[in-house]
Amino acid sequence: MHRKTKQVSAAVLATALAVSLSACGSDSGSDSGAAEGSSPAGGKGGKVTIELAISKASQDSAFVNEELLKKFEDETNIHVNLQLLPSEQITTVLQTKLAVGETPDIVQYNLASAVTDLNLERNFEILDNEPWVGRVLNKDVLSANGHVYGFHVSQDTGMQGVVYNKDIFKELGLSIPKTYEEFLAVCEQIKAKGITPLFMPFKDQWATNIWVSAALADYADKNDPTLFNDLNANKKQWNEIPQLEAIIDQQYQLYKKGYTNADVLSDSYDMAVGKFLNKEVAMMFMGDWLIQDVETKDPNVHLGLFPIPYADNVKMGASPLGGQLFIPKQAKHMAEAKKFLEFLGSKDVAQQIVTEQKYVSNLSDVQTPELPEYKQEIVDNYITPKKTVITMEGYLQVDMSEMYRSFQDVYAGGKSPKEALDAWNVKFHQLMKDKGVAGF
Amino acid sequence: MKISKRLYSYYMVWPALLIYSLFFVLPTIIGLFYSFTDWRLDRTELHFNGWTNFKTIFSDSTLLLALKNTVIFAVVTVIGKNVIGIALAVALNMKLKTRNGLRAIFYSPSILSIMVISIVFTPMLRSDGTINKLFEAVGLGSLSQAWLTDPAIVIFTIAAVSIWQTAGFQMAIYLAGLQSISKEYYEAATIDGAGSWKSFVNITLPLLLPAININVMLTLIGGLKVFSEVFVLTGGGPGNASQVVGTIILRSFGEGSWGLGTAVNTLLFVAVTIISIPLLMFMRRKEVTE
Repeated sequence: MHRKTKQVSAAVLATALAVSLSACGSDSGSDSGAAEGSSPAGGKGGKVTIELAISKASQDSAFVNEELLKKFEDETNIHVNLQLLPSEQITTVLQTKLAVGETPDIVQYNLASAVTDLNLERNFEILDNEPWVGRVLNKDVLSANGHVYGFHVSQDTGMQGVVYNKDIFKELGLSIPKTYEEFLAVCEQIKAKGITPLFMPFKDQWATNIWVSAALADYADKNDPTLFNDLNANKKQWNEIPQLEAIIDQQYQLYKKGYTNADVLSDSYDMAVGKFLNKEVAMMFMGDWLIQDVETKDPNVHLGLFPIPYADNVKMGASPLGGQLFIPKQAKHMAEAKKFLEFLGSKDVAQQIVTEQKYVSNLSDVQTPELPEYKQEIVDNYITPKKTVITMEGYLQVDMSEMYRSFQDVYAGGKSPKEALDAWNVKFHQLMKDKGVAGF
Repeated sequence: MKISKRLYSYYMVWPALLIYSLFFVLPTIIGLFYSFTDWRLDRTELHFNGWTNFKTIFSDSTLLLALKNTVIFAVVTVIGKNVIGIALAVALNMKLKTRNGLRAIFYSPSILSIMVISIVFTPMLRSDGTINKLFEAVGLGSLSQAWLTDPAIVIFTIAAVSIWQTAGFQMAIYLAGLQSISKEYYEAATIDGAGSWKSFVNITLPLLLPAININVMLTLIGGLKVFSEVFVLTGGGPGNASQVVGTIILRSFGEGSWGLGTAVNTLLFVAVTIISIPLLMFMRRKEVTE
């Protein structure tokens, strides 16, 4: 009896282990995946359910509007099921899903991060031959490595520069500064009136980078067109670009001269809207999404955007476009997922989305509606005359947060701009080497 | 035949052992395997790369800083939580009218979520925050600090918040220990002419050793595995000044360096084991029985 119990127990243990292991290893079996995926579709005959993964923060995205999804279902008998993922975990969750092959059929993400976080080329379908691609005005915002990977009806990628309070500028009789010296003078005048000229929420590392990212992109565009290619091929080092050091120092000097909030490393981005609403601050290095957030809360506050004044005649920084839809290569319902993009890109539906969201249309047969004042100014002064340049992140292939951390070190009093770049250069090499990029 | 006479069969342990093996032992072994590979987000195949991940850890200045910070945090919190815990327990073991109320008050922070504590402490610890204002108000302005943004002191600040949060929990365990000490010892000591300090050192401390052991182990392991306090208060910043092993693991995974992240995790597991098992055995030996 003793022995028998032992045998039974061992058998139970072995079975349990085997089951658990085989569950882990099901990534290769697309057949088993398909069986799982289609089970919820059961219900009514012939109806297919496709899964769309989206971060919780983006749940109001125009692409997943309830009426729109219903219309799509009525037309095609394809049901779109939303997987809302926690915003702070979406990267990890998607990485895991892609790694084990349990992918959704469509993912909403942003292109530049998809390249660095999700291995775009390996995991996502190239969409070059989709019917809507022919009508796209600006393919760059949807493309990586020369191929269209993303879907969006807007080409307005979000601009990055200096967000400023027009009312304060008008009251003080200030005009938009064109050079760094003029910018210092403007700060001085605002400070003299008892208003904090600049808000730097540098507890959030990424906020340290708006100035640098747009300025360096403009510098490269004008003076060193191969800069980012050289950095990516290990032909140039981050700590061997004197101009970059100068750019970092320019931003630091603004803090040193007392033009900012006192405790820059304690203040975070979520305080920005309040600071602008209360007119505590006049300017901030940020994207125009902040303007929309502030003006939604109080339409009587008038904000605008001008390019980072690190030098003369600077172009406006354009962030890589966010909120595109992508189709994973391992999607179980590829054809249906593509049909959904086709539906969103059809003239009527796209027009409806563009009009409602006040987007700058990216489809040749879809009209851009009347835009908010600040947005129209950006379109007229920068987008239409093509005075924009994609910010630094758009050219790099690895996670940049370590660079932003180095910038924080400058403000914590520990490092000079040169030392910050030394540290980042080492980290950059390691990340590129780990990624397996040639030359590292 | 012998076994069947016992109340419960030895095999009753199987269900628990099975679950434990599946969800702890097995992942740990698999983790050990992955820490010797170049497992990455953008690789389709795994390759064994020997000690490369561990060499990376010991050549990366940020990772070394994180190790140093983890040790500082563990040492400071073990001392702080236990010294304050014992002091509180001894004080609140006396016959005070407000005893129960005070016990509840000192214990209460340990039931709060660290998120809540972070939201309360972050504004207090600003350079223009309550704590510095308090110092200035009593004429000690020179003591005011940039608590969370000065790289030199930030890890100590986080340790202090952690001590504030859980010293009350340690107190509760010490109180239980104190109550198991018979009053007779103290009476005998008083008759022999021992003062309160002498009886504390010669009676309370030795008889409290089981409680001290468990508390030191708990706080040490908790200190080495610290994550949430750092994550919510500073996120490892400013720069990397307050990174600890826990936040570095998160960072490595975020960068897609899964093999490296697993290696750091393995290192933490080994370090916790190597430090805690001998310490536990050493302290066990010191225990006395009444």
